[in-house]
Order: sequence, then structure tokens, then C-alpha cells
Amino acid sequence: MSAPATGNGADGEAPLLAVHDLKKHFPIHHGVISRVVGQVYAVDGVSFEIKPGETLGLVGESGCGKSTVGRTVLKLLEPTDGRIEVRGTDITGLNARAMMPYRQQMQMIFQDPYASLNPRMSAAQIVEEPLIIHDVGAAAERTERVAQLFERVGLGARHMHSYPHEFSGGQRQRIGIARALALNPDLIVGDEPVSALDVSIQAQIINLLKDLQEEFELSYLFIAHDLAVVEHISHRVAVMYLGRIVEITDKTKLFETPLHPYTEALLSAVPIPKARSRGRKRTILAGDVPSPINPPPGCHFHQRCPYAHDRCRVEAPTLREILPGHQAACHLHDDGPALPLATPAGD
Amino acid sequence: MDILTQVEPSGQVAPREFAALEDAVLEIADLQTHFFTDDGVVRAVDGVSYAVRKGETLGVVGESGCGKSVTALSILRLVANPPGRIVGGAIRFEGRDLLEMSESEMEEIRGNEISMIFQEPMTSLNPLFTVGRQIAEAISLHQGLGKREAMELAIEMLNRVHIPEPASRAQAYPHQLSGGMRQRVMIAMAMSCNPKILIADEPTTALDVTIQAQILDLMREIQEQLGQAIILITHDMGVVAENADRVVVMYAGRKVEEAPVDELFDNPGHPYTMGLLSAIPNLEEAAHDEGGQARLNEIKGMVPSLANLPPGCVFAPRCGFATDQCTSAYPPLTEERPGHWVACWHAGRLLEAGS
Repeated sequence: MSAPATGNGADGEAPLLAVHDLKKHFPIHHGVISRVVGQVYAVDGVSFEIKPGETLGLVGESGCGKSTVGRTVLKLLEPTDGRIEVRGTDITGLNARAMMPYRQQMQMIFQDPYASLNPRMSAAQIVEEPLIIHDVGAAAERTERVAQLFERVGLGARHMHSYPHEFSGGQRQRIGIARALALNPDLIVGDEPVSALDVSIQAQIINLLKDLQEEFELSYLFIAHDLAVVEHISHRVAVMYLGRIVEITDKTKLFETPLHPYTEALLSAVPIPKARSRGRKRTILAGDVPSPINPPPGCHFHQRCPYAHDRCRVEAPTLREILPGHQAACHLHDDGPALPLATPAGD
Repeated sequence: MDILTQVEPSGQVAPREFAALEDAVLEIADLQTHFFTDDGVVRAVDGVSYAVRKGETLGVVGESGCGKSVTALSILRLVANPPGRIVGGAIRFEGRDLLEMSESEMEEIRGNEISMIFQEPMTSLNPLFTVGRQIAEAISLHQGLGKREAMELAIEMLNRVHIPEPASRAQAYPHQLSGGMRQRVMIAMAMSCNPKILIADEPTTALDVTIQAQILDLMREIQEQLGQAIILITHDMGVVAENADRVVVMYAGRKVEEAPVDELFDNPGHPYTMGLLSAIPNLEEAAHDEGGQARLNEIKGMVPSLANLPPGCVFAPRCGFATDQCTSAYPPLTEERPGHWVACWHAGRLLEAGS
């Protein structure tokens, strides 16, 4: 088991959320009696912490398990193994009823503002629903609270009785944010909350999320594939690859001194919207992400890693602190930090 | 040159920009593609002109609904009719107007001379046939080769797009391949007849960033070998910056700016382009913004409905520089600097202030 990643400085502060060696495997059923023939190792031992008021970015490519982490942390999916703690209380084994008070504290914003709003409810009903479920306030108070929330996320009160299809994508995402804010949560998990939006609208929503964080001292677990967006909004960033966190540190260190070859390649692959970027030299990884049904032995990344050596093919590296406040799971640093990353192994 | 100087319906004179563009393999002049819907006429493409040179990559950039894809579909006359119809303009390819051609003449052009790859390769591949057979079919259809030779060439094409074990992968069905592999198959198919122009409509948008880098690299490599022109349609300013020679920026069915790539990123002349560039988080700056104080520039409001465009400049309602002139008349495209065209009444002033 790897130790949970701690943030930079402010070590005395208790984490709002702590995740220890979290695993989520999905069984694969086959045949008439639905025999279990295999497992999808979607999340395979992930540990991290989020402090009050902090944004942890979770970045990785499709199928790396980042969305499953988000859902499992909120217990929308039952974890297979591991421990989830909210302010030191273990919530892993709690049933739906016992989860209720914790659900108030942890809310979610989804990627697709089209699929995550009930088309039969008006915008005001959607935002009010969590208040009703958690029995907050009388009807008149709830109506007032909904009006406040609309105002706060930049939707006019005149929109309150419109239905989701009458809104644009950006406006729908604002409704989703208002719904998530309704119960005054401490933590919001955003699963690709801006990826479906056009750039000009994306900027509006990112700014709104940052303003809300400051105003309400929110913590975010911000899950996204766009590294530039993640670096912009996060304080710390965790990089996932095939069910595991391969590197976690504050955003500046991640960018300046990536310790994992995958992070290095990911940073290098992001296209830069600036003049004279044409023909820029960059690391291009060979091959595709392997299947989480049958992950490769050893380090999950070794087949695509330009620095892989024999040990990487058999032994999985553990996530450990290599530089102060900077964890990575890579054998390159076995004899102390190897920076810049070692020259490619010649084979 | 007659079409180049004709007066547009809106009363403005279309620019004579092609006069400056030598070696153009394709010229689009004042293209208008409209959709006739129950909610009215949607002016998806409303007087767009651009040209692409032999061997160059022209980036066409803009947000959803700006008309960038419909323009491309219009080139190959693939706009669904009804509801869509090309109602005006010309598309010149090797001295002929594609819009004047018969359907059978167009079939000779598609695939052979101009081919296209799309965002989601799964929807453009037939799930019932092996990928080798689909490429071979395109080859035998366009080049009149026999079955066996066509299959050999198909395998050669798969090899060329760096698909490992091409002979056995040719026997795979599309669902057996990853997204990146499927896009390689699409590129192999599009390139199999050695077209003069490749239209790539968001070719990497559905792909992960490390796979995107592979595919863009492959497209560059093939372009260097075969020398065709590429029209690269994307919403991603980074993809444009790293791959295009020249860039066309579209907004609400119109071209608002065109410039060589470095000029565009150094000196954007249209307020919309400026807005877009400052709305995207920059990886390096974001990483060094330790206090998290930086804010992204917002372009207020949203894209107007194409069925109900505002009078004057279509960007004026969202523009911080808009004046009365902007809301009364659409600005003509003017060449502010060599090869740098901007449709903005204030472009001269903005460019001067910027540099």
C-alpha cells in the first residue's frame, strides 16, 4: 500500500478527503449463467488527499480510470477495496442512509450538460431537488435559495421556469453548478465539466468555478483530460495511467520537473497555441494505452516508455516521495531523483 | 476573375484575395450554403472565400456552428439536400467549378482528387467489412485495379500509415481497432488514390492527446512525401499553431480573419480571434500561476442564432470594441498587412495598438 500524497506545506491541516489504496474492479460476465470471466481493473490502488479550499486536478487519457475515481469517491460506485475518509471519518462501508449527511458535503458536476439534467423538470425544480431530498428549509425558503443560486451562477431569474432544452450548453452547465452548490457542499467533484463546451464558453465556466471556490472555500476534485485546463484551475495535479496514479505534486513542479516519463510525454504532446510552434520537437509515444482488462505486468506504462528497462517489465513501481512534496511511481528514481529523466535505454 | 469581384447580396464587394495567392489548387469564392428549416433559413455558410495552395496546410478554425465543416462538406457537395443547399458562390478546382459539375463528374473528384477524413472514424467505416477490404474497394473503384492488386496496395497503404503487421490488420474489422488505429485506416484510405487535396475535419478531436500527436505527425509525414494540400478543420488553436501554414478564422458562417500562422498568433487583427486566443488557458503560464490568480478572458454572451443574425457585424453584440458603425454595416475583408485579411471596421487601429 502506498502512502497518501500530502500537499505542499500546511502539513498540519487535516485533509477534507483522504483516499487510501482505492480499488474499483468491474466484473465481466459471460454466458447464460453470467459467469464472471474477468475483471476490468478500472482503478487499481489509488491514494490521495484534498485539503479544504484546494483543487486537485486528476488528469489522464480515456480509460485511465479518472472518472471511476470521481464516482467511487462519492460512493456512486461501491469501491472494491481501499478506504475513503471525509474529515477523518471512514465512509467506505456506509449504507445509503448513513451516507446522507456526507452527500450534503460532497456534490458532483458532470461532463455532459445535456444528459445530466432531467428534461421533464424546470431549471428551478432541478436546482431545488437536492434541498427537498435533504429536507432543507420550508418551501418559501427553498424558493428564495434557488433564486439566490441562479443569481450567483449568472443565470437570470427569468430563466427559472424554463426547461433544459431551452438553454445553451454553457447555461446548462451553470444549472448543474447551481444544483451542486444548493446544499453548501465542501467538496465538488467535476468530471470533465468544461470539455463539452466551446472555448469562449469554457472560459466563462472556469472563471465561475474559481470565483465560487474563493467565495465558498470549496475544494474541487477536477477531473479532465485537458492538461492546460487542469494546470490552470488546480493547485496540485495527479496524473493517472491505466488505473494508477503515476505522479502527484503541485502544478508548478509537475510542469517544471516531471518525474514520470508518462507525464513528460503528456506535457510534450499538448499543442501550444502560439506563433512559431510549427514543427516543434516533442516526445511522441508509440502505441496505444493497453486494455485495463489485461494490464501488462510490471509498470503499466513500460510498453510505451522510452526509458523502460528489464525491471520495469516485471515489477510495478510504487508511488513514493522522490522530491519533497513530489511523488512518482517510476524505477528510474530508485537511486535518488534522476533528472532530467535518464537517457533512453538502448535495446 | 469575374466571380472574384462580383457584388455580394449584402452589397459589399468580395475581396480580390486570390490574385495574391499563387499556386492555388482550390479556390472557394463567396460560398453560401443555407439550410431551409421549419425555424427559417439557417445561413450556415454566408459568403465565405478562401483558397489553398499546393502542398500547404490551411487551418480553418472556429467554434461549433461557425460553418467550418459545412464549408468543407460543400467542397465535396456532400451537404444533405434537403434541408441544405448551396445557394451561391463558386468552388474552383483545376480551372473547373465543382458546383457546375454533374453528379458523375463529382464522383470522379471525390476520393480521387479530393478526399476527406472525419472526426469519428467509426462512423465513416463500415462495421461489416474488414478494413483491408474497405481500402481495397476504394482503390479498385478509383484506379480500376483487380481485387488482388487492390488488396496488395491496401496493405502497402496500411504499412505506410505505420500500422504494425499490416497484412494481418487488414483482416481486422473496425471495432477490433483502437480509435487511433481507425484514424490511421481512414488516412490510408483517403491517401490511397493520391489525392491533390485532403480535407481533415477535426481528425484528432476524438483522440487522446498522445494519440493526437501521433496522427498529426503522420499527416505531416505523408504530406511531405506526397505533397498534397491539406485543409485542416479544427476548434483547437494549438493544433492550428503547430500544423497550419495559413489560418482562416470563421465566426457565425463568415470568414472574419485570414493570415499566415505566425502572423495570426503574433498579431491577431479581429476582436474575435483576440478573444479566442486569450480564452484558452496556456499550459506554461497556468503552471506558474501559483496563487491561482489568473483569469481567462471571457467572450461575453454566445454565438447568435444563424437563423436570426444581428444586422451589421455578426460579432458586434459580443465585441468590446463595437461602435455604431459595427451594428449598422458588415465590415468588408481588407488586407491589413501582406496576406493578412481582417473583416473588422477597427482592424487597422487594433493591429496598430497590438504591435
